[in-house]
Amino acid sequence: MEFDWSEDDLGHRAEFRAFLADFLPDDWDEISAHGPGSDAQAAFSRTFCRALAERGWLTQHWPRAYGGRDAPPWRHSIIGEECWAVGEPRGPQYMNVNWIGPAIMRFGTDEQRTQHLPPISRGEVLWCQGFSEPEAGSDLVALRTSARREGDDYVIDGSKIWTSYANHADFVILLVRTDPASDRHRGISVLLVPMETPGIEVREIPSVVGERYFHEVFFSGVRVPTSVRLGPEHEGWSVVTYALQYERVGAARYARAALTLDRLAEHARERGLLEDPLVINRLAEARALCEAARMLTYRVIDQRAHDLPPSTDTQIARVANTRADARVGELAVEILGADALESGSFADANFRLAMTAGVAVGATEVQLNLIAARHLGLPRA
Amino acid sequence: MNFEPDDEQRQILEAVTSLLGQHAGPARAKELAPAAGYDHALDAALSDAGFDAVMEPSERAGALEAILIVEAIAGAAGVTAFAAGAVVAPAVAGERLPGPVALGTGIARAPVRYGAHAKSLLWLDGDEARRCPLAPGDVSPVPSNFGYPLGRISPGAMAAGTSLGAGSGALLHRWWRLALAAEAVGTMEAALGHTTAYLKERRQFGRPIASFQAVQHRLAECAIGIEGSRWLVREAAHQWAPEEATACAAAHALSTARQVFREVHQLSGAIGFTRDHDLHAWSMRLHALGAELSGVGGHRRALAAARWGVG
Repeated sequence: MEFDWSEDDLGHRAEFRAFLADFLPDDWDEISAHGPGSDAQAAFSRTFCRALAERGWLTQHWPRAYGGRDAPPWRHSIIGEECWAVGEPRGPQYMNVNWIGPAIMRFGTDEQRTQHLPPISRGEVLWCQGFSEPEAGSDLVALRTSARREGDDYVIDGSKIWTSYANHADFVILLVRTDPASDRHRGISVLLVPMETPGIEVREIPSVVGERYFHEVFFSGVRVPTSVRLGPEHEGWSVVTYALQYERVGAARYARAALTLDRLAEHARERGLLEDPLVINRLAEARALCEAARMLTYRVIDQRAHDLPPSTDTQIARVANTRADARVGELAVEILGADALESGSFADANFRLAMTAGVAVGATEVQLNLIAARHLGLPRA
Repeated sequence: MNFEPDDEQRQILEAVTSLLGQHAGPARAKELAPAAGYDHALDAALSDAGFDAVMEPSERAGALEAILIVEAIAGAAGVTAFAAGAVVAPAVAGERLPGPVALGTGIARAPVRYGAHAKSLLWLDGDEARRCPLAPGDVSPVPSNFGYPLGRISPGAMAAGTSLGAGSGALLHRWWRLALAAEAVGTMEAALGHTTAYLKERRQFGRPIASFQAVQHRLAECAIGIEGSRWLVREAAHQWAPEEATACAAAHALSTARQVFREVHQLSGAIGFTRDHDLHAWSMRLHALGAELSGVGGHRRALAAARWGVG
């Protein structure tokens, strides 16, 4: 047990920070204020990820065979921290490198790996995830979108909802029911579907969170070859479980929250609020939540670095990140008062980014259920 | 960066767990409590095994290992001032002091943990720390329900102490906060473990209480706070107790301690308040720990000062 960064890691962080300072445009804060689904941020992410790829940083934690550099997971986590802290200039592509790519590596055929991994590692492709449905939210295994087998094809019918980045995505990693007689965890498969396939329609769901944040995606008689299936037929749940372990701590929310908090402390100072013991108390409480979330996230990265099986530390880290993010978001509005209400303002952007944390990637209540059952060994509710 | 214990740390943890299984535990704490006794036998066993010499301040080594031992002792409800004697005193005074060692803030007449048994006192005199040898006549016991033997130190004995010099007050704050937070982590973990075990057994409405989701989520929230505190404490120990990291660890741990106290007692029901049930051996201590160094508010002020130069 030791908690030092290696000289190499420290050097890597410094180099990456310098790159960010140089590469991010002057109006980056404005671009990122509209959220990762916005046209501006999605467009910038393509330029940015290509630049990362050219420097070998985008997928450095991947094996060399798939366009990586065999770097330890810690290296990739440094990039993740620095990127998320400034508003995630990788845009939707953080999902590609964090978990979609690794899932394809683990479960994909040679053909799928050859098709998908190089474009991801070059930063050239955008993906979205087709998981939630109108009747399958927290209870994901209630999903009903079907893929009916017709010879060597699947024909997909149904709809997905809350799909971020669907408007920009080139591919969707799609959860479907391939066995119509099945229910719950069995009979589900994962398909890697090009978004340009005829029969797919994307509709934006206007929201208060950010520009083009949510979409509904409709599938009407969408025909794809069975070769797009990732992993064994009807056994897609194990693919998803694997992928979600990565996704739940993929976003370094604590890093963004901690940076926001430092900036909030400066705002509070300018407004004379740092004289107020209650404000100091709230700032420090939030700082401790960010730091706890950081260490709990590191715990999960460390397990990955040791090739240990996923554990409920992932859920613990996820909820801790959610709490830290939410507390900082509230504090932003509290400290900046009416100024926080202006769309695109510093407090507004951070508050809206934080407000989805407890719902995205599995509601907090579902995470708490898993912690209760697996970490504390409590009987089923 | 490595969260897994190395071989030496694993050996220490196994050895201390085995020793505590023999010499400590809630039954032992309850045996000593009526007379507000001190566990000299436990101290002797820890010393014989060399645990009180794990930290080597001259080499800035062994703090994390010592803190792991503190966590474990707290989890076993040990009635020993090990944290003050084997961690805080060596780091602040540069050497081990005659034990038991008590820690004080200099607030007039405030009782301190292990005060009635202490042979040495380290206390905060403004910006400086003072070390004071104590004779039996310098201390008097203070009755308490909060799980530790308490005592008052005579003002004369405190005044007679030697200053450890400029900056020593900050040093004492840092190491005290670290030790305190580590004790809170071990204590909370044990209190939560005891409560979950009980709630899995205890049936109401025809099912174990622990099977109700309303109960499960509250226990899970406690676990999240405890795990976060644990790693903050360990990181701060490894970094040799920096000001910000120790204030952060203490702020988070002692804030979580209030939550854990509320939840374990609320969920255990009336049995949790009785002396027969072991819960109080840990739970009541959480408030004693929470009273030191101005409590959560004090730790948060220290954190804000270190982070943002406030105050």
